[in-house]
Amino acid sequence: MIGNVIKFELQYRLKRPATWLYFGILFLMACLALSWDNLTVGGGTGQVKENAPVALATISLILSVLPGFFLMSGLMGVPIVRDREYKTESMLFTTTLTKGQYLFGRYIGSLLITLLVFSGILFGLITGSLIKTGNEDFLAFNLWHHLSPFLVFVLPNVLIGSALFFMGGALSRNLLFVFMQGILLLMVYLLADGLLGEDLENRNIVALIDPFGLNTSNVVSQYWTIAQKNTQVYAMEGLVLFNRLIWLSVAAFALAATYFGYKMEVVSTRRKGKKSKTKATVEKLLPNFVMHQISPTLTDGFRIRLQQIWGLARLYFAEIFKSVPFIAIAGAGMVIMGVNAVFFNTIYGTPVYASTGLVLELIGGFNLFFIIIIVFYTGELLWRERDVRFQQIFDATPTPNWVTLSAKFLGFTMIHVVMILLLILAGILIQIFKGFPEIDLGLYFRYMFSDTFFFLLLFTALGFFVHTLVNQKFVGHAVMILFFIVNAFVLGEIGLEHKMFNYASGGLGNYSDMNQYGHYVNPFNWFQLYWFGMAAILMVVTLLFSQRGTDMLMKTRLKLARYRYTQPAIIGSAVALMLFVGSGCFVYYNTNVLNEYRTSDQTKELQANYEKELSQYAELTQPKIVETNLKVDIYPEQRDFEAEGYYYLKNLSDEPIADMHIQLANQGGLALDYLRFDREATISKAYDEFDYFIYSFAERLSPGDSVKMDFKVLYDSKGFVEGNPNDEIAFNGTFFNSRYFPSLGYNDGFELGSDDDRKEYDLPVKEPQLPRDDPRGLAQNLFGDDADYIRFEIKLSTSADQIAIAPGYLQKEWEEDGRRHYHYKMDQPMVNFYSILSARYEKLEEVWDSINLEIYYHKGHEYNLDRMMKGMKQSLAYYSKNFSPYQYQQMRIMEFPRYSSFAQSFANTVPFSEGIGFTQEIEEGAIDMPFYVTAHEMAHQWWGHQVPEAGVRGNAMISESMSQYSALMVMKQEYSEEMIQKFLAYELDRYLSGRASETKKERPLIEVQGQNYIHYRKGAIVMYSLQDYIGEDSVNAALKRFNQDWAYKRQGRYPNTEDLLKYFRAVTPDSMQYLIKDMFETITLFENRTKEATITESSDGQYTVHLSAEAIKYRADSLGNETEIPLTDWIDVGVFGETEAGKDTLLYLQKHPIRQKEIELDIVVPIKPTKAGIDPINKLIDRNPDDNVKAIIES
Amino acid sequence: MELRIDKLSQTYPNGVEALKNVSLRLKRGMFGLLGPNGAGKSTLMRILSTLQQPTSGSVRFNEFDVLRQPEEIRKRLGYLPQEFGVYPRINAETLLDHLAVLKGIGDKKQRKEIVEGLLVKTNLYSHRRKNLSGYSGGMRQRFGIAQALLANPSLIIVDEPTAGLDPAERNRFLNLLSELGQEAIVILSTHIVEDVKELCSEMAIINQGTILMQGNPLDSIKLLEGKVWKKRVPKDELTAYKERFEVISEKLIAGQPQIHIYSEVAPDETMEPVQPDLEDVYFSYITGKLQGNPQLSPA
Repeated sequence: MIGNVIKFELQYRLKRPATWLYFGILFLMACLALSWDNLTVGGGTGQVKENAPVALATISLILSVLPGFFLMSGLMGVPIVRDREYKTESMLFTTTLTKGQYLFGRYIGSLLITLLVFSGILFGLITGSLIKTGNEDFLAFNLWHHLSPFLVFVLPNVLIGSALFFMGGALSRNLLFVFMQGILLLMVYLLADGLLGEDLENRNIVALIDPFGLNTSNVVSQYWTIAQKNTQVYAMEGLVLFNRLIWLSVAAFALAATYFGYKMEVVSTRRKGKKSKTKATVEKLLPNFVMHQISPTLTDGFRIRLQQIWGLARLYFAEIFKSVPFIAIAGAGMVIMGVNAVFFNTIYGTPVYASTGLVLELIGGFNLFFIIIIVFYTGELLWRERDVRFQQIFDATPTPNWVTLSAKFLGFTMIHVVMILLLILAGILIQIFKGFPEIDLGLYFRYMFSDTFFFLLLFTALGFFVHTLVNQKFVGHAVMILFFIVNAFVLGEIGLEHKMFNYASGGLGNYSDMNQYGHYVNPFNWFQLYWFGMAAILMVVTLLFSQRGTDMLMKTRLKLARYRYTQPAIIGSAVALMLFVGSGCFVYYNTNVLNEYRTSDQTKELQANYEKELSQYAELTQPKIVETNLKVDIYPEQRDFEAEGYYYLKNLSDEPIADMHIQLANQGGLALDYLRFDREATISKAYDEFDYFIYSFAERLSPGDSVKMDFKVLYDSKGFVEGNPNDEIAFNGTFFNSRYFPSLGYNDGFELGSDDDRKEYDLPVKEPQLPRDDPRGLAQNLFGDDADYIRFEIKLSTSADQIAIAPGYLQKEWEEDGRRHYHYKMDQPMVNFYSILSARYEKLEEVWDSINLEIYYHKGHEYNLDRMMKGMKQSLAYYSKNFSPYQYQQMRIMEFPRYSSFAQSFANTVPFSEGIGFTQEIEEGAIDMPFYVTAHEMAHQWWGHQVPEAGVRGNAMISESMSQYSALMVMKQEYSEEMIQKFLAYELDRYLSGRASETKKERPLIEVQGQNYIHYRKGAIVMYSLQDYIGEDSVNAALKRFNQDWAYKRQGRYPNTEDLLKYFRAVTPDSMQYLIKDMFETITLFENRTKEATITESSDGQYTVHLSAEAIKYRADSLGNETEIPLTDWIDVGVFGETEAGKDTLLYLQKHPIRQKEIELDIVVPIKPTKAGIDPINKLIDRNPDDNVKAIIES
Repeated sequence: MELRIDKLSQTYPNGVEALKNVSLRLKRGMFGLLGPNGAGKSTLMRILSTLQQPTSGSVRFNEFDVLRQPEEIRKRLGYLPQEFGVYPRINAETLLDHLAVLKGIGDKKQRKEIVEGLLVKTNLYSHRRKNLSGYSGGMRQRFGIAQALLANPSLIIVDEPTAGLDPAERNRFLNLLSELGQEAIVILSTHIVEDVKELCSEMAIINQGTILMQGNPLDSIKLLEGKVWKKRVPKDELTAYKERFEVISEKLIAGQPQIHIYSEVAPDETMEPVQPDLEDVYFSYITGKLQGNPQLSPA
């Protein structure tokens, strides 16, 4: 019997076109994701091959979720609902079929069909791989690589989703409920995703609760290297296994619930009871009641229309607002937001103050739910009358179509308004709970009722348009979802990346306390006007085609649309078109005429051509800048500046120079007014396309001779640009650097970086930096080959309410013509890298050891000024004592808007983003980031400024890793060891995930080439470890000598990493020399773990800990292939006890010589220990740092 | 007051011809449209109620073109569809008031009076605060009539209103309808002959998309006078009778078939003449025994 039910289901479903359509969708998406460059679904990049097992797993997983779960809800939700809709229930239930046979027959049949559909993913991937066999970005075909993710992820996902959706459909007999379940699952996923955030603690929980296994796979492979990604499949073990087991049990439970909860009744008993109550009322006929005849006054003026719109809108508002799915979606969105609020905007686990601007970004996360609501309810509202079968009565009323449509729009708008108000309330509550009561109500309303509200109106209009034209609810939903996918992923790929193609684009962006929405407001206004024009056109078309009556044929609807295209519609469409075209022209004029617009392909092509035509000049000898003298007038309210001045250029080579190569900055809005030399020179060749000019001197510049180059550049912000505006020139918070001024010769910074791009434009793959021993590289410092050290002087002017700052000491400050003027001059040569800032600043000033310390900050951002001040003082104290004296008499920190999140060290000047440090809320025990970042930037005054390293591979190890070390040492003095450990745990995680997402190759520290995860993260870990092994004093002694020998090298030769290592080697005992190799010269990893720790108590009250542990040492190559190497190491062994307060305390910590993998040790401690382990405080790089320590078992 | 239907045809995309060249002329009063299921009644009703565009033909109501100026018709129209649902969680009074606004009754006081009046008239007053979703079939049908009468319509279209009603409900409903014919054109589409017989001064019979007759019910009965004969026949002889005589209808009476036969003269001595009724007229037209309009119909 059950066989027959299954057979019926299979036969029925196999004949349905939808089954094959769904199969086709998954097949094609999987195949194209692999084989078509324009569709990327989390595939491999760089060295990770397109069909690497990890990439195949990711594609399988993503497709199994989207569109997978969406399709599944349709496939598994319907089998029971169908019997209700087609009213076949009564017939089925009166047969001898049992409940089990019916339910499980339907379930198994549908499950088989679902599996068939999902096998499209598997076959699609296999086909894609086979098509591309032989392609260099593909691995040789391996069936198991394709099959295993299907078995580990897709199959369980199908089983999980099927059971849940089947339950939803069977128990509710309502498809909407099934969709709701899908959304609920999405919520759980998002919840898990939100938990993931920054915090290291939650990852395992996240991996377990994710219903789709997406986060699980991410967590499992978070530290996989390129080599592992290319060879390793996800095994059904550990987190993956537990996650699958948890969710499969949920699925089993759902099936059981379906069986026991399902009643084979046509009318559910509960509802019947309710009905009979109404029926029980006995009707009495009033005999011969004569109705008093009233002739109603029918009006059709504007007033009644408003009345109709208002009446309908209220009805629709209530219909949405009271419906269960809406409450569920909105409620779930709020819950997710609440969870995200808990882990709000943390940097190394340290939160940022919940300012209104930041809370608005958090609230922005609700937009996803707004979109879900819009997709569903525009369809629901349009179909409202038809769904309740009221449309014949409704459509026969004399209400005009425009009234109905307006009412539906208004009803929806009321939903939006109420939701926005609720979100604002939620935001305020978050701020109150976070203890940040500075609530900017005006900002809430300004942003939510412009950016968010407009976004909602635009997509509501689109939803009505799509649903009207498509005129089939489910297809309408699908088209809307497709639209979002196309908008987000496809437009750019097919060359339509201009924002004018991207519906509803051009938002306000993020809020800066300093600059507010600043220069984003103007383009926002125009883009919104443009999109409202578009939306108005959509609404006119919607109106013309709106469904009225029972006839759904496109032909009839076209005919009707023609009838309806009467004067008001013509006027309406003309106005909308004028608005759209007019504002469109204006936007285009701004983005493409006033400003230069390039697609990303055009930009790449320009970069490629630049290299092809000009790299011939890369090694050309040029004079060096020895003096820079500028006058820069900043006009913040226009976002303009004028810079005029001169360089003194000196021929430091031993041959005469005939040509000067001038490269102007690659910056829209910047123009050269003039450029001239104080000796005769003519432009002999101009590469206008690249702003590159060759000046030929009439008489060659002899060695030792100088030439003065006068120039003036104008920066003019004209209108607005298509992409990200230039945030460096702002109304309040201008911060730009020397790159705006002319530079000398070819700039390899403009070259294409990624291997893929270089291949596409026929350029050889190139290492980003010169080899460590390259003479040209060694002869220039990290700031480029234009100069060694320069004399620097600058005059600044800005508007009267702002302060303008540049490196150097303030010579004079005055007011003139209503503007503030400043004159700065540096008293000693400095590197050729300077910043110019202007903003409305408050100033905090202190003196430390006759050095002036100043912080220029935005009013209201006083929170951490004392921490920064302390950071400056402690740094100066530590660095001048241990490295060398500070070279200036002054240090200044200046805040700049949070469009970027970094701090940067210039001579006696550190611009510091408001997004980091200034607004962080440092609680007891949290990592003091303002202090740390200050110490790091202070250290650059030594590492980078006193000792600028050579422009070769590995250079960032000298400036960045040493600054990390220096800052850690300062932090160690101020804060507990635990805080340092906490900080280093983040650094370790970032290093390991950084190497996991490497696309080219991981390099050892001494060869690092612009890889943050190496020079910052690994640098911090190994340097901290080095000072632990050989002593802080020894490291400092080495650095002091290094500084002595290499500071202020004026020309000819700058240090590379080998130069630095020599100093480290000199202070390292022979037994520890291997550390230099492990830490700096190779990629070395450990896998340390404690297997067992037991104790025995001896008679004298001592405890002996028997530790059984394992240590494995690996060496990895640049792709992450690992080989085990023999141990000749010193590794920490530690035993913990407990203080009375219950906190861990180290009873024993000693380095032990480790010569073999298996370790058996006895350690005697005087107090009863609780835990013991190997490398207990994670000084070595270890991917599983948690298993190093184990609780002690009493034997 | 006149509703004029000219050469109306409707062909659906699947090839079904729901209406073939239908022309009708309707005046004030009750008009019955009789026809079997699937005859094209509902299609015609929907076209008249501006819910559907015909493939060809025209409909004029007084000076208005129904197809081109649907809004003018809608102002004057009261329509009760064959089947309808309502919004959940809404009661009769609220929905009627809401519909009154949609029909253009702006004055709140007036609306309240009208709604109350109609609720009383349709005997729903005591249930006015009850959710419509809890109404019985008859109550819902009466609500349907109430909403159709909201704006004092001059064209009232009721499509199969008595289908599914028990006899008592049906009587109440027809009483209600009979009051309406004074001031308006009322089109009652039905497959139940009794409905038309009791209410309509004018009628048409439609089958397979074609109007078979239009005229006064009584006149049409006169056409058949002396031409209808009946006989009770054994079941096994039924087929033989059908072959020999022009059988208009058959029905079981106490388990035995009784047939009505159309014949100008007495077919044989066993047949009894009967006084024809509207049902005989209906079946005569449907089975093709009679063709053309009764000539006696008043101009």
